[in-house]
Amino acid sequence: MNDYSDATTGYNFAYLDEQTKRMIRRGLLKAVAIPGYQVPFGGREMPMPYGWGTGGMQLTASVLGQDDVLKVIDQGADDTTNAVSIRAFFERVAGVTTTSATAEADVIQTRHRIPEQPLRQGQILVFQVPIPEPLRFIEPSEEETRLMHALEEYGVMHVKLYEDIARHGHIATTYAYPVKVDGRYVTDPSPIPKFDNPKLHMAEALMLFGAGREKRLYAIPPYTRVESLDFEDHPFEVQQWEEPCAICGARDTFLDEVITDDRGGRMFVCSDTDYCQSRREEVA
Amino acid sequence: MYVAVKGGEQAIANAHRWLADRRRGSRESAELEVAQVEGQLRLAVARVMAEASLYDPELAALAIKQASGDMVEAVFLLRAYRTTLPRLAETVPLDTAAMHIERRVSATYKDIPGGQVLGPTYDYTHRLLDFLQLAKGETPTPVEAEEMLATCPQILELLDDEGLLEREADDGSEPYDITRDPPDFPVDRATRLQMLARGDEGYLLALGYSTQRGYGRNHPFAGEIRLGRVAVEIEVEECEVPMCIGEIEISECQMINQFGGSREVAPQFTRGYGLAFGHNERKTMAMALVDRALRAEELGETPTGPAQQAEFVLAHADSVESAGFVSHLKLPHYVDFQSELELLRRLRREHAARRLQPDEQPTTAPEEQQA
Amino acid sequence: MQWSAFDDPVHDSQRAYRQLLSTMAEPGTVEDMLESPLRPEDAAIGAACWATLLTLCDLDTRVWLTPELAAGGLGEGLRFHTGSRLVDTPAEADFALVTPATLADPTRVFNEGSDIYPDRSTTLLVVLERLDTEGPWRLQGPGIPGFRRLGIGEGDALMSRLAANQSRFPRGLDAILTCGARLAAVPRSTRITSSRVEEADPCMSQ
Repeated sequence: MNDYSDATTGYNFAYLDEQTKRMIRRGLLKAVAIPGYQVPFGGREMPMPYGWGTGGMQLTASVLGQDDVLKVIDQGADDTTNAVSIRAFFERVAGVTTTSATAEADVIQTRHRIPEQPLRQGQILVFQVPIPEPLRFIEPSEEETRLMHALEEYGVMHVKLYEDIARHGHIATTYAYPVKVDGRYVTDPSPIPKFDNPKLHMAEALMLFGAGREKRLYAIPPYTRVESLDFEDHPFEVQQWEEPCAICGARDTFLDEVITDDRGGRMFVCSDTDYCQSRREEVA
Repeated sequence: MYVAVKGGEQAIANAHRWLADRRRGSRESAELEVAQVEGQLRLAVARVMAEASLYDPELAALAIKQASGDMVEAVFLLRAYRTTLPRLAETVPLDTAAMHIERRVSATYKDIPGGQVLGPTYDYTHRLLDFLQLAKGETPTPVEAEEMLATCPQILELLDDEGLLEREADDGSEPYDITRDPPDFPVDRATRLQMLARGDEGYLLALGYSTQRGYGRNHPFAGEIRLGRVAVEIEVEECEVPMCIGEIEISECQMINQFGGSREVAPQFTRGYGLAFGHNERKTMAMALVDRALRAEELGETPTGPAQQAEFVLAHADSVESAGFVSHLKLPHYVDFQSELELLRRLRREHAARRLQPDEQPTTAPEEQQA
Repeated sequence: MQWSAFDDPVHDSQRAYRQLLSTMAEPGTVEDMLESPLRPEDAAIGAACWATLLTLCDLDTRVWLTPELAAGGLGEGLRFHTGSRLVDTPAEADFALVTPATLADPTRVFNEGSDIYPDRSTTLLVVLERLDTEGPWRLQGPGIPGFRRLGIGEGDALMSRLAANQSRFPRGLDAILTCGARLAAVPRSTRITSSRVEEADPCMSQ
């Protein structure tokens, strides 16, 4: 018979054991030293499914301290179910204070967005990454893509983007839009909309990327050049909306489309719920 | 007025409560006991232990109960528990030749030293629903031999003596540990076998089957399949012989496959190998087929089938990974979808504008710009 | 006095790690290590260096110690507290504990990783006589708005090794610099130049 009397309390601070944290911590130092390079790491199973943020969670668990304030967002919002679930997990296993206010957070774990409010020095933004390899959809073999990175052979990526232009008149990549970090590594910024790409460039915060299933982690240090790939005759551009946020009136944010009835009615609202709310409070 | 949806936490808590109710089912029937699952659904328990890489029948049974019988979910539950366990010691390699045999069959020889032992198999059952089990019938006790079976030599070792079969020797190198280090393709055979051993049974079965149908055919014979208990031993300081810390039930399959050989090496049969916790015969056979298929390059064969492509086979074998990533499509993707909508609408506007002015060349297409 | 572990291994190492991460992410910033586990009186390494070793090393790391820093039984202390394996040559090491004098010896060869796996390289843990933001070394690159300055005393051998990183990037050596309780880092992405001319530099050194 097994004895599981400590089954609910028997976990280390922030769930991961110290040896796993050290392994990830050493990997993160290398990731920071080689911006945009994907460091293989011994990813562990987490008590949540692969694809649901296990990479980001392992990174968060490895850097988080008991005095940190944590914010978790999914699609820009603090109240989407997976954000709620991950936040509750860290409240339970690390006992940390959580917040929805971007400015108050020390560590922010995110899926698919960068907050609208510029991040400040000292903050850490942890991205959940499904497929860390930007070349994967062009070349499925890991052996091959690893070599392409080593040789800085990125021609195929430009060919792919150019084929889009030939076919559609535009680059058809709208999220997970590839970037070049410090002029060397082509890197996947995770599936953020390309609207958020400019926020990666010379950001003040440290940005960490974790892919649990693919067992890769990488980083973009603060104050680092990050360019979105483009062409002289087709410069990189971000999404624009014709109308402002229906709630706070912002014209410079990423908007979610909300269907309001079954007769084609729709409205657009900020995807960053904290930003939207703080603007409304300012107006009020 | 639109109000952002709140209350995710309450919704999640309510979902969990409803789930627990569904799991329990009708309160008019007795609640399923974990011991019943462990004792009466033992093939399910074996599969969960094998794919979770944790030999613990009681916890595997708990996982099956907790997952309402969803095997992939049960594997995940047990795997997530496994990853929190400390590593206290490493065992010496299992000696499957010393197995206490319950079942042992060979398709290559009619009679073999130690004999063919059918054991507790479904193989020759007629697949007729047994309505007696719907009523509560008595189950007869098994007919037992008076003596325990002696340990039997492995069939493939007999061939080995004649040099007809490729020899497999331990090169003594430290095996890579897939549970602690990320796979580094291309990976060696020991690593591949680890990945296949925890691979999803259905996936391996389909891939193994595909080799039989010609996508990388390797002419297999079931040299020997055995099921039984083996001792687990660890080396202890100050002890000359390893110490037995218990027994586990395992299934092993050794396939014999068509020849390799070269100008220097005489033609020989080659092998494929499968091993799994518990009674897991189908899994080990499929594993052996896929193991052999993945040796294509090493044996000088030109890979022609999906089962021979190591990175493809191995990167997609794990059900915890594949189920997680497929199911993540249920998570919100509002932002990515919105990005696609915005582009698609723009492309359609431009397309419509071009159709209205058929003589005008689109200004954005680069090939025309260059022309 | 003996080599001591952290009082609170989980939380002390987390705090120390965040300082390491932040100095690596912002090369040229100098911090005082908050954690200072005790060392023997004759130890040749300071609090920041010992705390770094306790934070990053374990059974899975190979460490090389330059003989001039081994005073006070550092090797045994390290093995006892972290389980690290001590190796005989620096090229085998994940972490190499060195001084600028060690690096002046060209026969000391470290692992720079490969173009495919540049992360599989030695991290230098450097013990310095001086570490501040006033010196002649100008650092530029990721993590640095404009440039930062660094003073490390007699450190030409260190800086010429690190400056060589530029020519073989992404292969290279990353350095964690320590002096007593002070901590800084120079990753391989940093571009290093020397200007002996002092310039007014009010905002870049922090």
